[in-house]
Amino acid sequence: MILEPLIENWQLLLEGTWMVIKLFTVTLLFALPLGLPIALGANSRIFPLRFICQTYVWIFRGTPLLMQMFFFYFFIPINIGVAPTLFTTIAFTFALNYAAYFAEIYRGGINSIDRGQFEAAHSLGLSKWQTTRDIVLPQTMKAILPSIFNEVITLVKDTALAQTLGMMELMKVTYGIVNRTSVTTIFLYTAIIYLGLNLLITLVASKLEGHFKRYDAKEEF
Amino acid sequence: MRSDNAEIRDELQGSISKIMDKDKILEMKGIVKEYGEFKALRGVDFSVERGEIVTIIGPSGSGKSTLLRCINGLTVPTSGTIDLHGRTSMVFQHFNLFPHMTCLENITYAPIKVLKVPKVDAEANAKELLDMVGLSDKASAYPAQISGGQKQRVAIARSLAMKPDLMLFDEPTSALDPEIIGSVLNVMKGLASEHMTMVVVTHEMSFARDVSDRTVFMADGEKLEEGTPAQIFENPKSERLQTFLASF
Repeated sequence: MILEPLIENWQLLLEGTWMVIKLFTVTLLFALPLGLPIALGANSRIFPLRFICQTYVWIFRGTPLLMQMFFFYFFIPINIGVAPTLFTTIAFTFALNYAAYFAEIYRGGINSIDRGQFEAAHSLGLSKWQTTRDIVLPQTMKAILPSIFNEVITLVKDTALAQTLGMMELMKVTYGIVNRTSVTTIFLYTAIIYLGLNLLITLVASKLEGHFKRYDAKEEF
Repeated sequence: MRSDNAEIRDELQGSISKIMDKDKILEMKGIVKEYGEFKALRGVDFSVERGEIVTIIGPSGSGKSTLLRCINGLTVPTSGTIDLHGRTSMVFQHFNLFPHMTCLENITYAPIKVLKVPKVDAEANAKELLDMVGLSDKASAYPAQISGGQKQRVAIARSLAMKPDLMLFDEPTSALDPEIIGSVLNVMKGLASEHMTMVVVTHEMSFARDVSDRTVFMADGEKLEEGTPAQIFENPKSERLQTFLASF
């Protein structure tokens, strides 16, 4: 029966899925806010700040996430002398990596805001921070949501990279089951799980887009 | 005795500066603005007295908007001095309302955040201002839901909410359809009749003629002529101004 491998292995798959969700959540929790200061820094007129932020983005977008994971896996214990847990190391790397991508999305969004908005804010006496927080960012959200959710969906699938350091996430669990039982239909169930997770994310995305579109209403006639 | 003298002197200086303040709200001297090779302003002197309505006219590229933007710091002049007493507020050609805020929020945001006005008072004041510009029914509408003329009137209300000492208008009707320009000009005329100090960069010659106390004609980054509307419109001296006026 086609459901048999699922019935026999659902607990393992659930544990793998839980790891995916955990890594996904922790990464977003840190990467989404961390991207903002990097974006503002990369846009800054202060050269050293701009240089540091642009270099950060260059490095984290310019090297494979997989390589970064290995780097921190060995670098932190050897050079700093503390040994974080495997999950901490991986989540740390993921957060730094994704922050670089989010920073570039934020930056693009901020730069797409009409100059007139900054000028109006200036002429009303708003501070730079007030302008950024209350005028620019809320307008940016609508424009950047699709790009953000592109990355978020990629993140769900990138969690599979964590298996290379031995984390028991969904893909590693799946391989394990296939190796042990020689039943390949398990790949199908794993695919369905990934699809299910991303369907949820897509639903959240369209909900949020609706929320940020509320002021974009059509002319009243 | 000494302290008496000092007191008298202080008092005297105080009242002198008060008189000065009362007269000149803005004094700009020798304003030059260069963009690389291009000289947008070539040493312009410009001043405004409290309660005065000044219009600046001239062909496009004459530097009139640049001059206006130097007043509130949107453009930093290459050289020259600006002496400004009080707060300015600007109305833009393209309104620049905040699209993610309702009309009411557009008006209350800056008073609450910048002037620290309590929210209740800011909203009450905003409703009065909306009423004044004839849009009390649009308080909860978003800018995308109202017309260009209505947007500009909300923008004027937003500027007024900051209780400015000097209102700056940068071609406020240039982006509007001819049939709705009147509604915006009427609001501005209302402000003029209440002696709001205003500097208006405009292409509306009839407005400049009817409403201003003084009109400045600019061309090629220079102030070519300046005077009462009668002097400027009935007796233009320079050929540039005559040609300019004939084009309307």
